[in-house]
Amino acid sequence: MDQHTDYRSSNVPGPAGAADLVLTNGRIYTVDAANYWAEAVAIRGGRFIAVGGSADMDGLIGPRTQVLDLKGRFVMPGLYDMHTHPDLKLAPGYAGYLEVGLEDPTPEQVRQAILDYAAAHPGDGWVYGQYFVRYTFKQAGLVPDRAWLDSVLPDRPVAILDRSWGCMMVNSKALELAGIDAETLDPRHGYIERDSVTGEPTGILVDGAYALIHAAMPPTPQHALKRAYREGVWFQSGHGVVGTKYVHVCEHRLNALKSIDQVGELSVRVEAAISWQDDIFPVKRRWELLAGERHYYRSARLNANAVKFHFDGTHESRSSYLSSAWPGDESWRGHLNMTPEHITDMVVDMDRRGIRVIAHCTGDGASDLFLDAVAEARRRNGYSGVRHQCAHSTTLLDANLPRFAELNVTAEFSPVGWFPSSFAYARAVFGEDRMQRAYNFKGVLEHGGVAVMGTDWPVSSINPWIGFEAMVTRENPFGEEAGCFYGQPISLEQAIRVMTLNGAWCMGIEDKAGSIEVGKSADLIVLDRNLFEVEPKGNIHNAQVQLTLLEGEVTWDRHGEFAGTAHAATWQGELPNF
Amino acid sequence: MSRQATIPVTLVSGFLGAGKTTLLNRILTSDHGLRMAVMVNDFGAINIDSQLIVSQTQTTLSLANGCICCTVESDLIEQLGRMLDDRVNRPEYIIIEASGVSNPSKIANTLRYPQFREALAIDSILTVVDAEQFGDLQGEMAQLAMEQLDVADIIVLNKTDRVSREQLDALKARWLYPSARLLECAHGDVPLELVLGVGRHQAGWRLRPVPATAGKLATGPEDHSQLFDTWSFSSERPLSLKALRAALAALPVEIYRAKGVCQIAEAPGKRCIVHVVGNRTEIKPEDGWEGGAPYTQLIFIGRRGSIDGAALQASFEGCLV
Repeated sequence: MDQHTDYRSSNVPGPAGAADLVLTNGRIYTVDAANYWAEAVAIRGGRFIAVGGSADMDGLIGPRTQVLDLKGRFVMPGLYDMHTHPDLKLAPGYAGYLEVGLEDPTPEQVRQAILDYAAAHPGDGWVYGQYFVRYTFKQAGLVPDRAWLDSVLPDRPVAILDRSWGCMMVNSKALELAGIDAETLDPRHGYIERDSVTGEPTGILVDGAYALIHAAMPPTPQHALKRAYREGVWFQSGHGVVGTKYVHVCEHRLNALKSIDQVGELSVRVEAAISWQDDIFPVKRRWELLAGERHYYRSARLNANAVKFHFDGTHESRSSYLSSAWPGDESWRGHLNMTPEHITDMVVDMDRRGIRVIAHCTGDGASDLFLDAVAEARRRNGYSGVRHQCAHSTTLLDANLPRFAELNVTAEFSPVGWFPSSFAYARAVFGEDRMQRAYNFKGVLEHGGVAVMGTDWPVSSINPWIGFEAMVTRENPFGEEAGCFYGQPISLEQAIRVMTLNGAWCMGIEDKAGSIEVGKSADLIVLDRNLFEVEPKGNIHNAQVQLTLLEGEVTWDRHGEFAGTAHAATWQGELPNF
Repeated sequence: MSRQATIPVTLVSGFLGAGKTTLLNRILTSDHGLRMAVMVNDFGAINIDSQLIVSQTQTTLSLANGCICCTVESDLIEQLGRMLDDRVNRPEYIIIEASGVSNPSKIANTLRYPQFREALAIDSILTVVDAEQFGDLQGEMAQLAMEQLDVADIIVLNKTDRVSREQLDALKARWLYPSARLLECAHGDVPLELVLGVGRHQAGWRLRPVPATAGKLATGPEDHSQLFDTWSFSSERPLSLKALRAALAALPVEIYRAKGVCQIAEAPGKRCIVHVVGNRTEIKPEDGWEGGAPYTQLIFIGRRGSIDGAALQASFEGCLV
């Protein structure tokens, strides 16, 4: 913990003398073009002070230096997962909301569950949870609506999702607190079910309409968010991740991240991107955060200097915004959630403020507009030093491949989308011509651009090694389906660079992290196998990380090699199983 | 700008193999005289169902590669939007066939979105059930099947020729809720009066009282008129909204359709359109009576022999204020 107060500045020298930690006798792949392989490293004050042969470390070993013999194990820099959402996956389950807990609860069982929950959580707070099933109401000759819920619990706001998440049933108190009445307009992606004669809400809110209730409810509780992030970083450290982006946060999420940072449990560098839209959860005070409150959260491990936009939709729903019409269509190009003018003004403004724009662009039309907006920002602002990020990059126009390098924009991909699987085939809807250009990871790299990977959990597994293998093979890591999907594989060396140094570049820290070099942050991972000595297919995805170091701190220690020492790990033992 | 007529939509749902495509073909090849658009959704990369649709003259749109209720929803919205914008070939009737693994409530929800509410009206949601296979469903499949039944205005129990009366009774006891409006048939032979009711209503079609001659159960479409009785209620006094809703909710399950206009005390000056299809009841106030005196006139269609006129008369007279 003393590292957290031992800060350096121009006239404060770093610690002198012997190394804190020396790792010897390893097969260390450094990702440093000047010297790709080393045998040993020495770490002091969180940085590498020597990288070379085992004998080179002798002069750096003092009485308090801990030396670990790697016994020939493979070492490389830590990994970077540049797009993931542990809170979205985990926090709802940890929030302690009402869980009826039955597959087909009868209205009576729903009623009893509400009453039990209310008794166990006294007061006037919300009773929120899941779920009811409409057909069991029908079987009982009842109509699920506000009147029924009012008959169960009239004095507290109640909101219950239906099993398919297609609608929410709320009582009169909930409607009142959310300000929903006969005058309330329907949202664009949903509607308020109403009495056809009086216009009064019936208590059933369909699709996007239940966001009106979420906006009135207290946000996801801190304890749930903290547990979600805590277990998320634990899992990530246990899989060798040293840098990550949590794409979509709000003030409450940042508070949760700050709390685990302050107690020393933020074992991964996190860049958190503030949501510009309310489409996943309500984001209150976003402008205050973006205007400067984001700095309140800043530490060596945490920053909120990014903003997340949803420019377009998804390919599954044919709402990706394409450069020309969707297959089989004359004019439908998909859905752009904002006008190009809105996009350009925001990108220029954020760029000027030093805020990274992470733009969800699944269609080649959306990324074209994004790159245009960045070009305009560069024209107006000059090069601000901010590297914006094209998230997903599912399909890109060939003409845009060189622009990633020209404009210093990161192209981010989710490689689990490109090995043969039912998930991948369900996404192959762009038409044969566009699919040939889909997931053009190699194209970006060959044009000098920086490409990175994101797991996009919970869309796909949070285990980064699955996508890592898919980069090199483009084949199904689990052997379930034969052949390749679309696109070209890259070499192992390229893939390692993508997972490490490119990630650091994407976070703007490549000068001090991302490779094993003297003076850089002492980040590394020790594996159970040498990636250069195994057949990539079927082997990389289940590589076991035995040790993870971030800034010289042992964040993960699978076998307790540092247990009981001054370098005892932040995490060890069984990993959370998601 | 003149307002375009509302297009009625029939949604055909039902489990894989229940007989949806057969039913659809039956509708398309019948003599309805309407310009129909059919939207077919298949789960998978190749749209088999659209190839099986027999019609050569209708507009058939494929919503391929995904389950319509979740992944193709935006596609559905877009295709519907485009169809409504097409001034030349605007359909007079739309039939949507959901894939066998869709939850049709999501599609029904989409049709009720504000942007479609004025342009589209759900005429009926038919859920086709394979009487022979249905009872074997388990787990999540059984839940999905129940969700398909839940949203149905009318349940079409198909392939009844392949099962015994005891099997049918067991199926009803296990799967159907008490208020289900049920049509039993074989080979998708469903009366068009129940499928295309609103279209005909809007085209000026009026129900004729069925001749009182007794008829045996029909086997072909031409005999469907023998299956139904009608009954009507009229009054010049206003009705209580709450009482009317209760009376409509209490209709016997053998009454499949009701429609008409009502004078409702809670909506003074408004002409309220009442529309009952199977399990669904809609009461919609429209502009006034255009100088005429307000009145109530409701027409009911039920299975032959099921209408107890005296009981219905008492029930609806009880709604008068």
